[in-house]
Amino acid sequence: MKTEHRRLGLLGLILSSALALGACASLSAPTLSGDAAKLQSLAELDGQAPTRRTLEIQTWTTPQGAKVLFAPAHELPMFDLRLTFAAGSSQDNGVPGLATLTNAMLNEGVPGKDVGTIAAGFEGLGAEFGNGAYRDMAVASLRSLSAREQRDPALALFAEVLGKPTFPEDSLARIKNQLLAGFEFQKQNPGKLASLKLFERLYGQHPYAHPSDGTAQSIPAISRQQLQAFHARAYAAGNTVIALVGDLSRSEAEAIANQVSAALPQGPALPRIAQPQAPKPGASHIEFPSNQTHLLIAQLGIDRRDPDYAALYLGNQILGGSSFGTRLMTEVREKRGLTYGVYSGFSAMQARGPFMINLQTRAELSQGTLALVKQLLADYLREGPTQQELDNAKRQLAGSFPLSTASNADIVGQLASMGFYDLPLSYLDDFMRDVQALSIEQVKTAMAKHLDPEALVVVSAGPTVAQKELPPPTDRPAELPSTVPH
Amino acid sequence: MIVSARRTLGLIMGVLCLPLAALAAAPQPTHEFTLDNGLKVIVREDHRAPVVVSQLWYKVGSSYETPGSTGLSHALEHMMFKGSRKFGPGEASRILRELGAEENAFTSDDYTAYYQVLASDRLGVALELEADRLASLQLPADEFAKEIEVIKEERRLRTDDRPSSLAFERFKAMAYPASGYGIPTIGWMADLDRMHIDELRAWYRKWYAPNNATLVVVGDVGVDEVKTQVQRYFGDIPRREVPTAKLPLELGAAGERRTTLYLKTQLPSLLMGFNVPGLATAETPRQVYALRLAAALLDGGYSARLSTRLERGEELVSGASAWYNAFTRGDSLFVLTATPNVQKGRTLEQAEAGLWRELEELKKTPPSAAELARVRAQVIAGLVFERDSITSQATSIGQLETVGLSWQLIDQELAELEAVTPADIQQAARTFFVRDRLSVAHVLPEESRNEESRP
Repeated sequence: MKTEHRRLGLLGLILSSALALGACASLSAPTLSGDAAKLQSLAELDGQAPTRRTLEIQTWTTPQGAKVLFAPAHELPMFDLRLTFAAGSSQDNGVPGLATLTNAMLNEGVPGKDVGTIAAGFEGLGAEFGNGAYRDMAVASLRSLSAREQRDPALALFAEVLGKPTFPEDSLARIKNQLLAGFEFQKQNPGKLASLKLFERLYGQHPYAHPSDGTAQSIPAISRQQLQAFHARAYAAGNTVIALVGDLSRSEAEAIANQVSAALPQGPALPRIAQPQAPKPGASHIEFPSNQTHLLIAQLGIDRRDPDYAALYLGNQILGGSSFGTRLMTEVREKRGLTYGVYSGFSAMQARGPFMINLQTRAELSQGTLALVKQLLADYLREGPTQQELDNAKRQLAGSFPLSTASNADIVGQLASMGFYDLPLSYLDDFMRDVQALSIEQVKTAMAKHLDPEALVVVSAGPTVAQKELPPPTDRPAELPSTVPH
Repeated sequence: MIVSARRTLGLIMGVLCLPLAALAAAPQPTHEFTLDNGLKVIVREDHRAPVVVSQLWYKVGSSYETPGSTGLSHALEHMMFKGSRKFGPGEASRILRELGAEENAFTSDDYTAYYQVLASDRLGVALELEADRLASLQLPADEFAKEIEVIKEERRLRTDDRPSSLAFERFKAMAYPASGYGIPTIGWMADLDRMHIDELRAWYRKWYAPNNATLVVVGDVGVDEVKTQVQRYFGDIPRREVPTAKLPLELGAAGERRTTLYLKTQLPSLLMGFNVPGLATAETPRQVYALRLAAALLDGGYSARLSTRLERGEELVSGASAWYNAFTRGDSLFVLTATPNVQKGRTLEQAEAGLWRELEELKKTPPSAAELARVRAQVIAGLVFERDSITSQATSIGQLETVGLSWQLIDQELAELEAVTPADIQQAARTFFVRDRLSVAHVLPEESRNEESRP
């Protein structure tokens, strides 16, 4: 079923930073010989890393101070424009939900146009307006046909929405009510409750601690004046990154960037937020009448500029970063059938984001499963990856490289992320080069430096029930059973 | 390994692709051929990036299942990753992963599909692996013993502990009294508890034949190279007899059905569904396109009627939706949902009455020219936007083919929609939005079970 609070879906979730995949680099020594003996197609591959779509990324700064990243893509008659502001909930400044509410109210009114007129304006052009606010960033985006007949009026309306929102009182009351309804929906979602608790535990007094959507206590009191002040400060041109991809010439792209940044409030970038303090380790439990228990196992991780980023990215891929075949997925799902999915990841943010492992399992096995996952993490930190795991993960990243920039939607996401986190234009290639150069020792050292199995913060949500022992692990059968007769 | 695609065709442009004079972009060359063993292959060239998607669609899903054996198609999908002649359990996935491929599968009521997205020079590997498990799946009993536990966890996660999904499952069981569309794709828990590996082996033998499948390849490839590779890996798999699949047909007028569900939810919500035909079963295609336009008028964006009138105007609901999937193998359902605006003290009964007012309005008053122009603009732009994703293109083609329609319908969409008159929309509304075709579910918090049912 489509969710019934569709618009709220646009509002915040945790930002999982767009982890870009990088560049060429030749493949590490093939270990596919056994597989190649079985597979004709594999034996015929030339062993070269694949190429990717050619991008001519260009960058400049508008007179108003907005940073622009542009990549032309002439194959389809459309364009994607994405504005990213350092205007997430970490800028709420003691008013939880202010950033989210400001972002959600952008398209509710401009001088001379009410919310219905604005919506009809975009939709009548076939254009798609999007918005969202997270912990670090707030986003506003436009996807439209690139013919002038659609492009010009769509951009004019987009510029009004970003630059002159009127934040009408009736809309504000309605959207507050929708947020409050969203909080009620959250109460039926043990995974969401566990996640909110985890951020509170990890971040204490830091601005990442509170929910991006605010709380039932904070939202009702937020005033129109507070939204106006937040907009003037946080949606300023100097606090904005403009990413643009599509069927546009450089001069058209410059004109669009200038039009948009001139429409924004004028002002500088906001100061970066401070780093969080280390949290107190230990477990918290949320009692919830579900069938499964949700488990979150976490620590503070890294910020986006950390020099260990590539080593941790690769190290995490092997632990639990890429769905199937990771240590966690193999041991917890494939060998024991304990969960539908178990994942780990570093969310690298402006300040240190979380490292988190998450999974769900039937309640009566939750304690055993938690102990198993903690043990798997401790073993990995102590031993590091094997040479085979390292080689496979490198080959996987090199092989998936062309997928990271295949569509315009992929590219605009990469540009926005590179711009927001101040990464160089060569970032995609640099990252892949760095990953391919890593040794076992470097990965092991980086993982052990940033993660401590004795300092974990654990949050569980589920029912309290008598616990059972885990089933024993089963490995793959030594010989294949007989073929199904046809 | 997801039960997916509850086929929310939210907007009208789910599946279209393009009659091309309308657009500046040249259409991608699309080719169709069939191997001697009956495997149908559709290749679309998209040379923007050196990537390719390969999807193999089988004509089997939960609507083919019978009571007591629900969830077979989805469980078999999971077991397709557990080994075939050339590979042990999980091995094919490992090989793909090490090549940097994304792969997974999805099951719905009308189909089961497997896909790989990868660098285009590696397409042969995806094809060879896919062909091997079509020809020689192993289905080991010990792997099944573990995997069925994973599937139960999936059911707990995505249905039992998710009140909105649980409500929709119960609602569908009521709304489709005569066909397999009432069966949940993941299967009832009682059936998962008693599922046996032999049932899966029989299900595999029954439906997994090249002549019951469609291969769709979209990306940076040429048709000749694809043809050579497909012939090489799939060509020797023998054709097998497959049972005739009967279209899922529903009762035209089963009578009004109502249920009240008390779930672990904080807020009440409402589901309404009318039994309607799909494109494969409609008397005339015109009826179907009129229903699609009705869905777009109600819920085709933030400026559509449900948002404008019920959410913002009357503030009767905090959210509402309308959707209709025309691309089903059999009959379909026109679904409306709403969450009453409890902050304003609105009730389920008031929300239901509000949805009915909008349905009656569709019967009485023709839509405005401006509304129809907005729908048209969204369809035209959506045709271009869909082409940004090779996966979306492949999915549209595969879904149409698998429910027994031609992918070339894509080219006729805009013309079909433009041919619909305001009177057609009114006529369809009068025919189908009637109580005899209606199912209603009221979803309420458990705590309210003992309270007066009408607040």
